[in-house]
Amino acid sequence: MRSRFPGAMLALLVVAAFLGSSAVAAEMNGPMSSTKKPEAPAVAMPQGQPPMDPKAGLDVEKLFAGTCGWCHSGGGRMAGKGPKLMDTTLTDAEIVQRIKVGKTGAMPAFGSAFNEVELQAIVKYIRGLREDSPPK
Amino acid sequence: MKRSHLLHAALLAAAAVLGMSAPVPAADIDTQRLLNADKNPADWLTYHGSYKSWHYSGLDQINTDNVKNLKVAWMHAMPRSTRGLQSFPLVADGVLYYSGSYNQVYALDGATGELKWAYKQKLNEDLVAKQTHSPYNRGIAIGFGNVYMGTLDGKLVAIDMQTGKFKWETKLVESEKLTVGFTGAPLLVNGKIIIGSQGGEWPYRGPIFGVDANSGKLLWTFFTVGGDENDPARKTWGGDSWKTGGGGGWMAGGYDPKTNTVYWGTANPAPLYDWGGAEWKTKGARPGDNLYTTSVIALDPDTGKLKSYFQELPHDAWDFDSAVGEFVMLERGGKEYIVHANKGGFVFVYDPQLKVQNVWQGVKNINFVKGIDPKTGALIGRRDLAEGKHQALCPFIAGGYSWNAGSYNPGTDLYYKVGNEWCMDLEVIKTTPVLEPMAQLNIGSNFTVNKTTPDGGKARGHVSARDPITGAVKWQVEYAEPPLASLLSTKGNLVFVPDARGWLHALDARTGTELWKHNNGQGHNGGIISYTAKGKQYIAVATGWGGLAGDDYKVLYGEPWTSMPTDQGTLVVFGM
Repeated sequence: MRSRFPGAMLALLVVAAFLGSSAVAAEMNGPMSSTKKPEAPAVAMPQGQPPMDPKAGLDVEKLFAGTCGWCHSGGGRMAGKGPKLMDTTLTDAEIVQRIKVGKTGAMPAFGSAFNEVELQAIVKYIRGLREDSPPK
Repeated sequence: MKRSHLLHAALLAAAAVLGMSAPVPAADIDTQRLLNADKNPADWLTYHGSYKSWHYSGLDQINTDNVKNLKVAWMHAMPRSTRGLQSFPLVADGVLYYSGSYNQVYALDGATGELKWAYKQKLNEDLVAKQTHSPYNRGIAIGFGNVYMGTLDGKLVAIDMQTGKFKWETKLVESEKLTVGFTGAPLLVNGKIIIGSQGGEWPYRGPIFGVDANSGKLLWTFFTVGGDENDPARKTWGGDSWKTGGGGGWMAGGYDPKTNTVYWGTANPAPLYDWGGAEWKTKGARPGDNLYTTSVIALDPDTGKLKSYFQELPHDAWDFDSAVGEFVMLERGGKEYIVHANKGGFVFVYDPQLKVQNVWQGVKNINFVKGIDPKTGALIGRRDLAEGKHQALCPFIAGGYSWNAGSYNPGTDLYYKVGNEWCMDLEVIKTTPVLEPMAQLNIGSNFTVNKTTPDGGKARGHVSARDPITGAVKWQVEYAEPPLASLLSTKGNLVFVPDARGWLHALDARTGTELWKHNNGQGHNGGIISYTAKGKQYIAVATGWGGLAGDDYKVLYGEPWTSMPTDQGTLVVFGM
């Protein structure tokens, strides 16, 4: 298990800052606005994690089973909540654009989640989808 | 009570002396009024109708004799209804409040639908665009002069009930890193707002919060994954898996004022499917029981301390949350029971200390276990899924029961609940949690929904009327597609079923016979309530399609879902 989480990565876990009240005075805001004051959340993410190792590459098979498969059924081979990706008529550029900006109410925007190399790896995975792709 | 009345009178007197126009008094929804919510059917004060979570209306102006005359009284369109309208309206003193996508709230005259005020939360829209289980909101809480709502970007906001003006907000979850925030309704008890975050498939620890209802001050945090530092629950997660274990509490729970106990259902662990398979106690992504995920927990609302718990599915390996079921509290033979549905299709019956009294199966097509011991709640014959392909796991990931609430009717002593018969194929794959730059879903498989079920039928649904304690069936009505909206039963011996095609059905609560139906023009995927305004009974139902479970209907059933909008939301209100 440890190997999945390098010790240093999570050693700095900031558990619930429990900063108490961050309530903001009502008069500062109208119904169309909310506070702009930066607030420390009560629950923060593990801090101090090293960036992903770019040399490690992106395992798209894993990525699909972790994140994309929620909507793209059968690893992208079949229609589900989202469309079938195998044999898509979109161009590579259109696929990349859709992954980056998403589609309101249907697909999240992953523009900040993947770099260009990773996006191309996803395109390659989609282009390589076959009905009989062997299971890993 | 007395003090607030005196203060109010003094303010009015002062206003009169100063020649000012008297301010409109703030609706006095205090703890006492919330405790008695079930005794005043004119209002609908909490998400589940009352702390007993019956989803029952004690009104009978509309009944089995005259329901054939039910007509649309008024409608209200919610703009920007991406993923439809999934929320539950609330009503106090003839004013209806309801929320929708992108954390909008509207206050309307309950008799006419005339707008009183509209509120739009300013959101981090870039973040919302990156969220999967978004931008819907499933409900609000009212009281202490405020409307309370959890936001998509991790805040609890208080809005003035009278004016719709922003009062305060408290940032609770760092959604910018964790991706998820709040979509479920808060629960107001004893001056505290209890709200659970989304979680489940996201690699974090699924907190539930207690916040002071007046000041917005955070009072406590309960982590559904691993608890506090010294909590023995942490030892039920192998290695560091507790740090990314999922959990959460994305639906509102219940409350027992006699013991000052909040009951909450917790979400599943992450990844949803664990390649450890049958060796899950020592191997896989999250070795161990994984407390307190897929559990029911009893919390002290003042401190957030755990009083008791029961884990419905130890080491849930199928995404069958305990977050989905309402906590139906009732008495029989002088004994108190809590009835709670689990997403796997079983109903657990507890005593107030969460000791199992019975477990009954409400859905036919189940094979993730062979059964559950009705005396102990122990799983019998688990179907653990090792890495690789698996056929016809039942139920489908959307659940034998989903988050749409059932209804208990004290007149018939029956519990009405939508059950889903559907299954799926999947391939379990080893995944790694993605935490940077922001957390991503960690499912652990690719899957596809099946059009047929192992019993030789098709993927389908039903509404059943059962004894809530024994599960004995009184009647059951089949639906070609599972209804995904909540049910309402009334003293007028009616059960309202808002279905997936768009029909709102009124059934005889005693027999299941259909007495009336009306086509609302789009599927239902939200709440339904009854209330009175100016002495007249109304039925209000959320219409609008596009929820995560409903997204599969295009593939499962084709039309009308292929062409059904997923960005429309209308509240439709019926009267005589």
